[in-house]
Amino acid sequence: MRNGDAVVELTDVRKEYSDSVALDGVSLTVLPGEAVAVMGPSGSGKSTLLNMIAGLDRPTSGSVVVQGTDLGTLGETGLALFRRRGIGMIFQFFNLLDDLSALDNVALAAQLTGTRAAQARARALELFGELGIAGRRDVYPARLSGGERQRVAVARALMNRPALLLADEPTGALDSRSGEQVMDLLLDLNQIGQTLLLVTHDERLATRCATRVIEVVDGRIAREQSLERTP
Amino acid sequence: MSPVWLASWAAVRKRKVQTTVIGLVVCAAGATLVMALGLLVAADAPFDRAFASQRGAHLTVAFDAREVEGADLTGGAESAGPFRQATLDTSGEETYLGTLTVVGRADPGGAVDRIPVTLGRWAERPGEIVLGVQPGARGEPGFEIAVPGGGTLTVVGFARSVTGSADAWVTPEQIDALRPTAVQMLYRFDRAGTAAEVAAGQAAVTAGLPDGAVLGSLSHLTVRDKVTSELGVFVPFLLIFGVLGLVVAVLTVANVVSSAVVAGLRQIGVLKAIGYTPDQVMAVHLVMVSVPAVAGSVLGAVIGNLFAKPVVQDAVEGFGVDALSFPAWVNVAAVAGLPLLVALAALVPALRARALPAARVIGAGTAAHTGRASRLQRRLAGTGLPRPFALGAGLPLARPGRSALTLASVVLGVMTVTLATGLALSVMAYDQAVRPSHADRLELMAGPPSGEPAFVPPGEQVPTPRLSDAGDEAALRSVPGVTAFLASARLEAELAGGAQKATITFHRGDTGELGPRVLTGHRPGRPGQVAVPSRFLNQRGLSVGDTVTVSARGGRTQLEIVGVVLTNNADEVFADWSALAALAPGARADSYQVRMAPGTDRDAVVAAVREADPGLRALPPRDSSSSTAVIIISSAVVLSLVLGAVAALGVFNTVVLNARERRRDLGLLKSIGMTPRQVTLLLVTSMGGLGVLGGLIGVPLGLAVHRVVVPAMTAAGQADVLDILLDVYQAPALALLALSGLVIAVLGAVVPARGAARLSIATVLHNE
Repeated sequence: MRNGDAVVELTDVRKEYSDSVALDGVSLTVLPGEAVAVMGPSGSGKSTLLNMIAGLDRPTSGSVVVQGTDLGTLGETGLALFRRRGIGMIFQFFNLLDDLSALDNVALAAQLTGTRAAQARARALELFGELGIAGRRDVYPARLSGGERQRVAVARALMNRPALLLADEPTGALDSRSGEQVMDLLLDLNQIGQTLLLVTHDERLATRCATRVIEVVDGRIAREQSLERTP
Repeated sequence: MSPVWLASWAAVRKRKVQTTVIGLVVCAAGATLVMALGLLVAADAPFDRAFASQRGAHLTVAFDAREVEGADLTGGAESAGPFRQATLDTSGEETYLGTLTVVGRADPGGAVDRIPVTLGRWAERPGEIVLGVQPGARGEPGFEIAVPGGGTLTVVGFARSVTGSADAWVTPEQIDALRPTAVQMLYRFDRAGTAAEVAAGQAAVTAGLPDGAVLGSLSHLTVRDKVTSELGVFVPFLLIFGVLGLVVAVLTVANVVSSAVVAGLRQIGVLKAIGYTPDQVMAVHLVMVSVPAVAGSVLGAVIGNLFAKPVVQDAVEGFGVDALSFPAWVNVAAVAGLPLLVALAALVPALRARALPAARVIGAGTAAHTGRASRLQRRLAGTGLPRPFALGAGLPLARPGRSALTLASVVLGVMTVTLATGLALSVMAYDQAVRPSHADRLELMAGPPSGEPAFVPPGEQVPTPRLSDAGDEAALRSVPGVTAFLASARLEAELAGGAQKATITFHRGDTGELGPRVLTGHRPGRPGQVAVPSRFLNQRGLSVGDTVTVSARGGRTQLEIVGVVLTNNADEVFADWSALAALAPGARADSYQVRMAPGTDRDAVVAAVREADPGLRALPPRDSSSSTAVIIISSAVVLSLVLGAVAALGVFNTVVLNARERRRDLGLLKSIGMTPRQVTLLLVTSMGGLGVLGGLIGVPLGLAVHRVVVPAMTAAGQADVLDILLDVYQAPALALLALSGLVIAVLGAVVPARGAARLSIATVLHNE
């Protein structure tokens, strides 16, 4: 049964690899404005779940509907177009393009949607200001600290004002201070209405940012819990 | 700026090594392509273009004036003439121009053999002469030529006959004073593309004429073969190097490009994650390699034009092509064709990039490597080899495709070096055979060769022997240490049938030991016999047993070809001393050659000769290298260096990428105590194995190609293939050539290996 308002709706999703099952009948709904944390031990299928929702991978069976679009009906090009506007992604290891400056990394996301370069850069500068990295706009990723890189990655993810922000271990590669800053950032975003789905090992991040925690074990949702955010 | 261009341009700017390698490889390929194609085109086209524009004669015939008096010589064909023809011998005069075939011709135009005047003007009145110019000749008109028997002719201009119908032209009135003995006719036939068609045309125009009316004839095909033969030697040479250059370049580019995709897996994942479509990802990779490819091809075309044009210009300016320009398609092929080739080479890996699932590649590099390399490395580790060797030797199998392409580049590099070495050895062997510089021989000048000015170094006197010819022979034979003696006299002669020249060298003495080597037939032993080089036969379409008519010193005689000798000059033939009396009665030897016993002091022999006859002059030991040989050897060296460098660039690129992919492994190895030197050794070893293998495969391939190219070059040079040209590789040289693969691999690997070894452990591990 579909929830017409859901941002994400997974129904009985199964993902098999040649020698293992990553997801085994997962069903999940994420509503607008929610902040959902997916937790679980290594190899439990958390990142695979995220990849399914982002359209980076396809399920063996089951359906993945994001913002009313059944991703199973889209080809590779269709998925790319979907990711441009509908999804913002943050990775543990940032995944910035080393060849581009910080500003170009961010502006590129808007340019892909057809936004003119000048407008894209203006929007990127605006985000740089909001995220406190305006002074690092022309620096290449290799010369940025981990925290700066992740903030650039967040700026890139927010560039097209996506309905859903996906974050895969966003503080996993950061020192505690940078991790705190990213947590604050995600919390702020959610509080102004940004739907958030994050995969994390970090219980502090989950309890601080998420309104709901889902625990995945051996490819199945083992537990689900709504939370009161801790200050 | 579009997202595709933005990502591509950023990659071009930031990936300096990759961009530079692609640019350099394509540049080298472009220069090689332009040089090879430009020379191929220019080597073939100048004569044909000049022949067409000057309406050159398909056939030039010299008739005996007495036999054809009053006869119709047109034969129904398009023709020019009859022009009376004389021989002007300038050998005894102050202005030495050899023996000239002079034709009386009122104007240089007409239906056949239009003669462009390159400097000055055409002869308009008696007392004036226009000289034909040889390619590369320089000079100003205005000087005078003495006519034997009295009078002078003023040179008023220079002109070129593409057909080679004469050496000089005067007015019809003037020719009478030069006592013409022949009549020249110039013909154009409807069909003259083959020797048979030209022969048929000749048969038609000479039908009905008495026997002996035709003194000689010259086909345009013979002229064309002769004028292009020197350049033609380069054609197979350049062709094979051009092909090798292209293949090495394509392989290296394919390696570089496909490796760039593999090395950029994470980038592909990121591009897809942020919304690049598969087609856009493919476009990014194609544009990324096309930018340096276009720049490299343009630069390569410019370099190719700069290098090739002066060489070709020298070769073709004699045919009326003063402002050389390569056909547009040659530059188009380089500037547009090579980037297209690069794009095609990039297409397969780009298509792969297009199809790669983003989720799989975005995490690439973090997973442990498994498979054959690891198993092999484990086995190698058990052999007791030093650890850097053991780990490095298994590395190529981690990327079999990349290693195969790198190996192919090394194989072609070794093949090129082997071929270039073989060609250089063959050329040197040929030079040594036809222009021996035997250390045990001494050459002596006895005076100016008959009909030529003496070669006198500054400060020295013209040799004027004190003794008679027989006296000098006796004196030289009696010098202690001299074991063999040869006397030579040279005579400039003209072959009937046009402006064909030949130098007849008459030998006396120990010809079997000191004369040129006889390949077929026998040495001339009596008057009327002559031995010739194979090029003489090939250029004139003659064979052993044929007879040629020669004129010299006002006399004319027929010589039967009785043997083929190993010499290079196509215009020098050899006769027995007994034949000299028939053409130049009373002439003496102009040079001597003696062979000294082993251990004889050359200076002592020279001193003894001076004492016996102070008028003889000893020549310094002969330099056996020719300009063609120097060009071929130096070109082979340059081309093998270029292609070897391109192959090394492929290795360089592979090591850069391997090191980049293995950053974490290398960082970990260093963190547990491996020294930078050991890391360098590890990476160099990984390519060293490919280098050794490449040497073992490349050398036999080079030997095989050598056995194809050398016969093609000798055929183009109208010479015969000899064993001494093919059997040039000795075992030590082969062993060294096999090592060239290792040299290419190590030279290509050492710089990036050292760079990788210097990486900071903290940086490497932090980045992961």
